[in-house]
Amino acid sequence: MFFHDLKYFILSQLKTKNLIFWLLLFPIALGCFFRIAFGEIYGNLTQTGPIPVAVVEEKDNPVFRSVLESMKGLEEQFLDPVDLDEATALERLKNNTVEGILYVNDKLRLTVAEDGLEETMLKKFVETYTLRETILTDAALTHPEKMEAAAAALSKDCHSVASVSVTTGNTNNFTQYFYNLIAMTALYGSLLGMQICFNNQANLSALGARKSCSPISKAVSLAADLTGAVLLQFLCMAVCVTFLVFVLKIDLGNRLPLVYLAACLGGMTGVSIGFFVGSIGTAGQRVRTGICNAVVLLFCFFSGLMVGNMKALVARFVPWLNEINPAAVISDSIYCLNLYSDYRRFGEKLAAMLLISLLFCILGIIMTRRKQYADI
Amino acid sequence: MQIFKAFFKVLKKSIPSSLIYIIIFLSISLVFAFSGQEDKTVFEQTELIFCIFDQDDSAESRSLVSYIGKQHELVDLEQDEDILLDALYYERVNCILLIKSGYAKQLAAGNTENLFERYTMHAGYADILTEQLLDQYVASVSAYLAEGCLLPEAVQKAETALSVQADVTYADFEADTEYPTVLFFFFQYLPYILISVLFNTLCPVLLTMNRNDIRFRTDCSGIRPASYLLWNSAGSVLFIIGIWLLFMGVGMILYGGLYVGKAWIAALNSFVFTLVSASWAILFSCFSPGENTINLITQVIGLGMSFFCGIFVEQSLLGSGVLAVARFLPAYWYVRINNMLSGNEPFRSENVLVFLLIETAFAVVAGMLALLIGKFRYRRLSAE
Repeated sequence: MFFHDLKYFILSQLKTKNLIFWLLLFPIALGCFFRIAFGEIYGNLTQTGPIPVAVVEEKDNPVFRSVLESMKGLEEQFLDPVDLDEATALERLKNNTVEGILYVNDKLRLTVAEDGLEETMLKKFVETYTLRETILTDAALTHPEKMEAAAAALSKDCHSVASVSVTTGNTNNFTQYFYNLIAMTALYGSLLGMQICFNNQANLSALGARKSCSPISKAVSLAADLTGAVLLQFLCMAVCVTFLVFVLKIDLGNRLPLVYLAACLGGMTGVSIGFFVGSIGTAGQRVRTGICNAVVLLFCFFSGLMVGNMKALVARFVPWLNEINPAAVISDSIYCLNLYSDYRRFGEKLAAMLLISLLFCILGIIMTRRKQYADI
Repeated sequence: MQIFKAFFKVLKKSIPSSLIYIIIFLSISLVFAFSGQEDKTVFEQTELIFCIFDQDDSAESRSLVSYIGKQHELVDLEQDEDILLDALYYERVNCILLIKSGYAKQLAAGNTENLFERYTMHAGYADILTEQLLDQYVASVSAYLAEGCLLPEAVQKAETALSVQADVTYADFEADTEYPTVLFFFFQYLPYILISVLFNTLCPVLLTMNRNDIRFRTDCSGIRPASYLLWNSAGSVLFIIGIWLLFMGVGMILYGGLYVGKAWIAALNSFVFTLVSASWAILFSCFSPGENTINLITQVIGLGMSFFCGIFVEQSLLGSGVLAVARFLPAYWYVRINNMLSGNEPFRSENVLVFLLIETAFAVVAGMLALLIGKFRYRRLSAE
């Protein structure tokens, strides 16, 4: 009887268009959109090039001119200066084709249109230029004989900082949208979980009413439906991860089998949540589905599906929420696989998923047990 | 008139599904508008977020930490690999700096190389700025040491010299009162809401009104088919204009009065896009989709155009391939106009006109296709 029920649960769900849409088509469509939108952003944001700046010469300043000339030969050019008259320079600044205007007089002045990193770097350039003057004037006044040594010290390449890479994984932080997409798909498994209750509760569907009157053991029926839902969700998660990795070419790290494992366990968590929500009270299908969707989207919101930095904000102000939010736990598990070399935190996340699944399954069973047709 | 009344009776049932979009959008717009953005007149340099571990713990290293803290934000983090990795990944810090043991001694000896270790993740201007900051500091101290100063004195003199601020002014551009930032964002996200609302509301209503059994019943009555089409169209037009007016009203609340100048162009742009969305919704309803299909298509068209055409992500950040494809979608031209109005790209009135015409063409083509398909389906039904 178990296998009979299992077979027909799977067959009936495969024909449910709503589930196919939310569990297969929607994640694939959203994955494509994320890929289109975020595919090149990281590269663009981390790319650095010479900062375009207009130079307006109010007074001839050969020292500054020589500084600009010397910069042109550098391998990593810092500035992209262009000589302009003031009106044209202002026009270009307004149109965002230059980041600032350097007014050359006895002293340098900078005019910008907005605050920002490039503008701050231009400010630092002006300060560095002024700093050299200050230090060398100081030296000329106090120790003129050591002025040359001071100038040499200022001109020397310090190389004071050594960069250390913290991970060999994919550091593109826009990939987290895809981690969260996997988490969302996993939690949409709750729709399958709820379907178990709809199929077994007499007031929620004709099938439920028929099953309630039939002599099949409720435990066997629930076990078969739960198994069927979990198996279907495994399939959906496998399709989702495969599509992301092999079609959209999203870098989810080089431990792909473990990504599949995490996604499938996440899917199981989703099914269990749906099973629990579906078992509460006697409300109709639409109300339960609405509640479930709202809860899933709320979980995903706090995990960073809509706002990328949300998980970091939650970690800062309510750190415990990330430990119990199923969406955060699922996306974190894949994040850990991608960035960490060891498996400690990944193991913790898997354990958390299992625990959440178990908890909701037990709660769901407690809610549905001994619920007869007459009780509803 | 009966048809007109029936149209709005059916519409009433479809409105709740769209209300959620309208309420969320309006709430976010109002919160954004009243959060208040002050006009800035003084330049503020970008503050990076540093987490510094001082292994040297000397007077000189503490002085350096204090110097960095005056210009940038310092945060304390536990020296745990996971915490540091998370902080860098989610950009809670821009740079984790380790002042190596022996920093002061090395500096006093004139060695400037590898005094610090920097843990970073995302390359960019922040990295260059950090490197410049530290190199400049070390070079200045070295210069004073070369002058013959002792280390504490060199550090003090270097910090005094480094404290001189550059003369930075804001360009005296007149603030754009015709098209403030709040209105730019309002019109930027409007297409997504228009698509969602019009598809979710108009499609189910037209589907119901054009259901075969209802059409057969109407055909048996005294109402002429042309009249049926006319009253249906009148209902649709009234609803479409009503939705547009609702959003324009909210826009004016955000604006603080009647639109002026460029804001009217934005309103016209949004009106044309409303027509595009409505015509697409009408065209789509001709294929008699089910409830789930409407949901799917709404999400795909709404989110798809928003991601493709630069509504959710700036066009300047999208790849050239994506933008090349986006040209075949109306939202791309809508966003181009909005960018011109906000000054993100040079404003040219002839371009605005061309882009509006392109958008209109999308609406006209979809409308004509809808009419053709509708007529074809009606003839086939009549023949049966």
